[in-house]
Amino acid sequence: MSLFDIWLGILKGVGTTAAVTAYGLLFAVPFALVFGVGQYLTVGVARLLVTAIIEFWRSSAVIILLFVFYYALPVFGITLSAWTVSAMVLGLNAGGYASQAVRAGLQALPSGQKEAGAALGLSRSAILLLIELPQALVAMSPTFVNTVIQLVKATALVSLVTLSDMTFRAKEIAQVEYNPVAIYTALLLAFFVVCYPIALAGRWLEARIAAPGSRAGGI
Amino acid sequence: MGFDLAFALSCAPIILGAVGTTLFVAFVSCVGAASIGFLFEMVRRMCGVAGAMSGFAIDFIRSTPVLIWLYFLYFVLPFYGIRLGSMTVGVMGLSLYYSGYLAEVFKAGIDAIPKGQPEAARALSLGRRDTVFYVIAPQMMRNIAAPLGNYFVSILKATPYLAVLAVPEMLGRAFDIASETYRYAEPLVVAGLIFLALALVISYGVKRLERRLLAGGTR
Repeated sequence: MSLFDIWLGILKGVGTTAAVTAYGLLFAVPFALVFGVGQYLTVGVARLLVTAIIEFWRSSAVIILLFVFYYALPVFGITLSAWTVSAMVLGLNAGGYASQAVRAGLQALPSGQKEAGAALGLSRSAILLLIELPQALVAMSPTFVNTVIQLVKATALVSLVTLSDMTFRAKEIAQVEYNPVAIYTALLLAFFVVCYPIALAGRWLEARIAAPGSRAGGI
Repeated sequence: MGFDLAFALSCAPIILGAVGTTLFVAFVSCVGAASIGFLFEMVRRMCGVAGAMSGFAIDFIRSTPVLIWLYFLYFVLPFYGIRLGSMTVGVMGLSLYYSGYLAEVFKAGIDAIPKGQPEAARALSLGRRDTVFYVIAPQMMRNIAAPLGNYFVSILKATPYLAVLAVPEMLGRAFDIASETYRYAEPLVVAGLIFLALALVISYGVKRLERRLLAGGTR
């Protein structure tokens, strides 16, 4: 098997890697927004509850969460496909991290923003949606890009719950061909080719936001 | 077959028996990652080819999943006749992977030191080594202590990846119980809860440390 064949074999799994990432984002983005805003707005017991849910997803080891939900949910009578379990666990874990960026972005805004909105007679939800969130989302976008990279990298785990992503394909090839150097180098390169452009985009975004004169620069 | 609480409780001591291994692996990997990361960052600060290569190595490591690095070392080293225990390979993998992140921590820690400090050292005609060890390093330590603590928690949460290499840490123990009894839910949930508790306790400690250091910073 030539190097080229090994590459092609691994790339057969790129669709699964991309699909799990996209499916995971469907969990991560809403979770980050709802719980990040929730942690910002609530006080007392409600805030404690929101924080507990965030900490559960953020502070648990993601590999254990994946196995727990894959093996333990059926015991409680909930049967989900490997796809859904993977996307949910990886997505909510990433969403937990991103929620902290949302909260920090909102907290970092000068209180004058909120007060000006109130002085104009806007409702609390209008202030949040029209004034606070747009600015916070711009400020947090580089952090969010990093979270996406973490999510792509975490999808390597789904090979352990039978999904045939790039890692799974590489292990398949490794069973018929003893060439670990080529196979695992190719696999590392495959992830690098996917993640590095995203990282560069994140850096560009960060520099743009930090640049003096940019509309978001005042944050 | 529901969730058997009594069985879960009987798993707890067996899994907790490996907590020492988990903490040991996390600590050694953290020291290893800090050492390699510091070296990476020092080389990156040099001009020319070496600096650029070190920068690329850091980016490459950060763009690839930890699981693949573990596979890579586990399968590639024996190919070259290097036979090491699975725990050694695991520690090497975690050290290498997190060195990329810790290099960034060192970078931020050094960049945050005001330029006047090394300039003042030069004005006092301190040598390069004295400047690094007596002026830069002590101030850097305070800047990196909290991020380093956070990465220790991240490394701790990555130790269950070593179960894939058959290292007998806590997740490995949980899977041992599972394959003996054909009950996956209980041991995995117990392992997950222990990891969550460890991560939360250490994170809390790091947060307190950070607050003390920040308070000490306002001179």
